[in-house]
Amino acid sequence: MKKDLISMDDLTLDEIKDYLRVAHQVEKLSDDQRYRLLPGKIMAAMFFEPSTRTRLSFEAAMHRLGGNVIGFAEQSATSVSKGESFTDTIHTVENYCDIMVIRHPGEGTARLAAQESVLPVINAGDGSNQHPTQTLLDLYTIEKDLGHISDITVAFVGDLKYSRTVHSLIRALMKFDVRNFILVAPESLRLPKYFMMTDQPDKYRFYETNHLEEAIPKCDILYMTRIQRERFPDLLEYEKVKDSYLLTAAMLADAKPHMRVLHPLPRVNEIAYDVDKTRFAGYFPQARNGVIMRQAILLKHLGVEL
Amino acid sequence: MSAQKNENMLMIPKIKLGIVIDHIPAGDGVKILEIISRYEETKEVPITLGINYDSQKMGRKDLIKLQMEFLSPEIIQHISIVVPGVTIKAIKDYKVYSKVVVQAPKVIKNLLLCKNPNCITNLQSGVETSFVAVDENSDQVKCEFCERIFDRSELQPIIK
Repeated sequence: MKKDLISMDDLTLDEIKDYLRVAHQVEKLSDDQRYRLLPGKIMAAMFFEPSTRTRLSFEAAMHRLGGNVIGFAEQSATSVSKGESFTDTIHTVENYCDIMVIRHPGEGTARLAAQESVLPVINAGDGSNQHPTQTLLDLYTIEKDLGHISDITVAFVGDLKYSRTVHSLIRALMKFDVRNFILVAPESLRLPKYFMMTDQPDKYRFYETNHLEEAIPKCDILYMTRIQRERFPDLLEYEKVKDSYLLTAAMLADAKPHMRVLHPLPRVNEIAYDVDKTRFAGYFPQARNGVIMRQAILLKHLGVEL
Repeated sequence: MSAQKNENMLMIPKIKLGIVIDHIPAGDGVKILEIISRYEETKEVPITLGINYDSQKMGRKDLIKLQMEFLSPEIIQHISIVVPGVTIKAIKDYKVYSKVVVQAPKVIKNLLLCKNPNCITNLQSGVETSFVAVDENSDQVKCEFCERIFDRSELQPIIK
């Protein structure tokens, strides 16, 4: 039976761990061994909205496994712009490939594609709903950097209200029994309260603060996100808060030695360039891990055992 | 007591053969009537609606009587989604011969519209909606597509 990757909510803890296991195995292989894993297989990268990093990362992953890539990078390049329905596009493209990677601004689009198609479908982002491959690569990065995922303190900084990446990662970390979260956000961009409501309120601790400095010495992972101007109804308020969430190398003096700074990228001005040269900077290796995790995903969903 | 025996009282007459929808929370009778009247099979059926009747259990309740032998499973499911907890009784020779309390189903297929304008079920025509109950005791449902959670009562039924 074909297997899709649509939502983190569909995955059990054991299934998530299996993605991490395969990713670790992929990483151990030589370039040559990797290149022989998916010869003759075709991945369709169907990007109905632009997303440079996710698309390039998937394409690189497939090419390095010896497979081929077809696809498009924006809707205007497709027959959808001529009025073709989304499901017709799916039924057409499924004749050309072995696996479909779909990015679409409409929420639930990947689920619909998975229902319609006989091929495995990977969700590469559906509006503000899910982006499971980002969450899996974040988990893989944390496990690689710290050696384990449970029993850690994770600080999230920036737009915690709207960030799909943050919401998805918090839920996944809770599955791994991560209990301590530090939330650094301006009043208007705080994590929605329903995230903190669990059936075990004593188990998880969500500590909210406005001060980034307060979070740095306490956390094992500092997960930064971009604060988007357009989220603020009042630009004056944006001007007031934007610099309070700017991380500089000098602020990392009290960080735990193993602490890592992660960011889903692109960064704008929330991490100063001088942080890049510190041992704490984990965001570019995180992007590299994205390719490895996506290789693991392609292998698993194309039925290749390692 | 029938309406004919006491012409001074305004009562809903007993029915010989038909369906009674009872224990409707006061005010929700109109919602159910509106659902029922959308289905072709009820177009010519005599229907009586009672509003704000005294009820020992509920204080006030609404009541609907339909002079038709069967209520299709589709209509029953539709009612159970919009007003769960009502009692549907089948009447034969003026007596209740079967009754059932309808509860909201776990999965609701193509009966409710998703409220999220960016959900694919609203962006592309012909996509069947699907909602799953969040848990047994809650009135919340999750859209299978956009994964947003809503109160069941805030979702509009699909007009077929």
